[in-house]
Amino acid sequence: MSAPAIGQELPELVKNPTTRQLVQYAGAQGDFYEIHYDQAYARSVGLPGVILHGLLKAAFLGQLVTDWLGGRGELVDFEVSYRGVDEPGRPYRCRGRVSNVDGNDVELEVWGEDESGKRTTVGTARVRLS
Amino acid sequence: MSATGTITDVIALLKSRIGVDGEPVTATIEAGHVKRFVEAIGDPNPRWTKEAPPTFLVAIAPVSLHMADAEVYGTGWLNGGNRFEYLAPVLIGDVITARGHVADVYDKRGSSGAMLFIVFETEYTNQRGEPVARLRGTLIRR
Repeated sequence: MSAPAIGQELPELVKNPTTRQLVQYAGAQGDFYEIHYDQAYARSVGLPGVILHGLLKAAFLGQLVTDWLGGRGELVDFEVSYRGVDEPGRPYRCRGRVSNVDGNDVELEVWGEDESGKRTTVGTARVRLS
Repeated sequence: MSATGTITDVIALLKSRIGVDGEPVTATIEAGHVKRFVEAIGDPNPRWTKEAPPTFLVAIAPVSLHMADAEVYGTGWLNGGNRFEYLAPVLIGDVITARGHVADVYDKRGSSGAMLFIVFETEYTNQRGEPVARLRGTLIRR
């Protein structure tokens, strides 16, 4: 793979989360907040239905970065901000691009998009190439 | 006590705990747990049979404290964001200790109503006492 250059896009990662996956994730993380698996509860607090865990979306974006990075280096830091809710049963597109290169230090802008193209999660990852 | 009084009190209570570490939690990074986690996130990278993936540390210990106390405020929780800082790899078999505290508490009144923000920080160290990661997270009560 060629050296990262500013503007270069990361290969897109499309996830198709299901309610089953939300339950799996709830168990694996140990986050049993009802908005992630109980439809009636989720609606009672003003949500359209059960929603993805923010940290599940962070994990998807983490995979986007580590798949792109491969064995070329290490993650230095990774920051995500949750801007909107996402429901299971809809594709979740993880995308990113190289936003800065300073020697072996590379900064990536990453985001997750819902079906309408809205960026419901935005973040930054910094990696150091070895 | 009025609801407003209660909310003022809970903010004062949470603020009084800023910087005070919660009880440390120690856990082994178990292959089976990491396997369940990567299956749940759908990441088949074989690297995760030896090492924990980037967000795994959230699964070994609670990343927040005093949440029950804040529930007098609003009706639901939202996750505002997370920031992970990586200092050393976390390998299967490592024994990790998580130490967390509240870093900041504030409330805001905006167009979508009142929101309470609680910022948590957790530092993770391994069995050799080396810091491996830091996590900062913002939970929102509204």
